[in-house]
Amino acid sequence: MKPVVMAGAGMIPFERRDDDTLIDMLAEAGLRAMDDAGLGDQPVDAVYVGNMASGLFNHQVSVASALVDKLSLYPAAAERIENGPASGGSAIKHGYQAIASGMADVVLVVGGEKMREVIGPRATDVVACMAQPEAEYIYGVSLPALAGMFARLYMKAYGITPEHLAQVAIKNHANGLLNPYAHIRARVTLEGILTHPDSKVGNPIVADPLRLYDCCPVSDGAAAVLLTTPEIAKKLSAKPAITVAGIGQATDTHALHERADPTDLKAVTIAAQKAFEMAGCKPADVDVAELHDAFTILEIAESEHAGFFKKGEGAKALAAGETQIGGKLPINPSGGLKARGHPVGATGVAQAVELVWQLRGEAGERQVKNAQTGFSLNFGGFGNNVVALVLRREK
Amino acid sequence: MITAYKCKSCGQIMYPYHYRCINCGGREFESFVPSTKAKLLTYTVIEQLPWGFDERGRVLGVVEFSNKVRAMGLIDIDADTEEINIGMKLTATWEPVRDTYGEKIYGLVFRPA
Ligand SMILES: [Zn+2]
Repeated sequence: MKPVVMAGAGMIPFERRDDDTLIDMLAEAGLRAMDDAGLGDQPVDAVYVGNMASGLFNHQVSVASALVDKLSLYPAAAERIENGPASGGSAIKHGYQAIASGMADVVLVVGGEKMREVIGPRATDVVACMAQPEAEYIYGVSLPALAGMFARLYMKAYGITPEHLAQVAIKNHANGLLNPYAHIRARVTLEGILTHPDSKVGNPIVADPLRLYDCCPVSDGAAAVLLTTPEIAKKLSAKPAITVAGIGQATDTHALHERADPTDLKAVTIAAQKAFEMAGCKPADVDVAELHDAFTILEIAESEHAGFFKKGEGAKALAAGETQIGGKLPINPSGGLKARGHPVGATGVAQAVELVWQLRGEAGERQVKNAQTGFSLNFGGFGNNVVALVLRREK
Repeated sequence: MITAYKCKSCGQIMYPYHYRCINCGGREFESFVPSTKAKLLTYTVIEQLPWGFDERGRVLGVVEFSNKVRAMGLIDIDADTEEINIGMKLTATWEPVRDTYGEKIYGLVFRPA
């Protein structure tokens, strides 16, 4: 396979964007990645759009064709890639394959979702559609509910407390304050979300034991990367080339109850192992990680399943400050899904955009010092389709 | 009531139906109905439900039946006033669990045994 680099990265701020259509958001993010790469008037061979549910949220399908039209990128090939909340990670994988195989030289990957077009309970229902229809969805299960059932078991098995969960939220909101693209930019304190008697008013239960501040917000947004060959990237701009060093993907049972051990996120373990194997490195080589903290418990569980900490040690590392910016392994310097927001199809691409900025040294106030290897994990369904990515700045 | 499946090659128990065994890939199954006795493996109390439910405090859980079938279902308990804990014994019934456009959708409902 031919080597592939991320030559450009860009995104629009995640927030509630009532004035933009989904296609506007995709186009704006796409242009930013193209301009960042210095593409100019050079043609794009293919466009992959990571998007989960434009049909349900926005009553529009064939959104990749619509994006090509909006950006006048004809006759570029175009497809929408759907893998639930890991649609963005999957779109990057398809872009990678197109270039690595030699079928394309320049690929634009855009992830985006416009979720706030529908009211809250409708958005919860659209997201819940990814659950097993006859054995889960009919009961009114939501993604927070699946995460709540998982959290109850995981917390009991590994001694994780509500304080640990709150620490994920506090850390990621502190990071989000340093990220101008983050949806929620507010300082969060332990007193405010857990220990003060009035904290339960502002931080109510969503799906016990998970509270509002254990869950990511519902956001609109888009992010994009431009993939190409190292030779073309060098001609386009003088920015450091960021190599797509490894991609891993794995699936697991649809219904949570069919996993022999429901606390074991096998697809996370396997996807991460495959990505590290392809990249020829190990978890200890990673300088910065973007994990899929749609729920606080997931950041802890994923940090263990991806191999950064032993089972039961992730919460300890968090409590010791090891996962803060400046710690041994900064996790979610962007603010993660918790603070940056989670427009589902955009997230996997936004994670890659953050890593590109971190690896180039362009992350401003939230820069992780001398980051050379980055890792991201995009968690689809409730862990039944996971995409992991290793990016590397070449010396 | 739900139908569960036991793989004729390896004995793996499955619910819902898979065209191939999740353990060995086998394609022949013996179908059976779970017992009515179950124990609670995990649960959540949902305060913010999806569109289609005009309620709060709905309890959902994952159970294991005495004949080893696992499934999710509605736990008919008022979490504000009644005890609920992992491992508790439950009795299963088959009742409406939601209304969709006026049609009653049936599913598993569990109550303390
Ligand atoms: Zn079998």
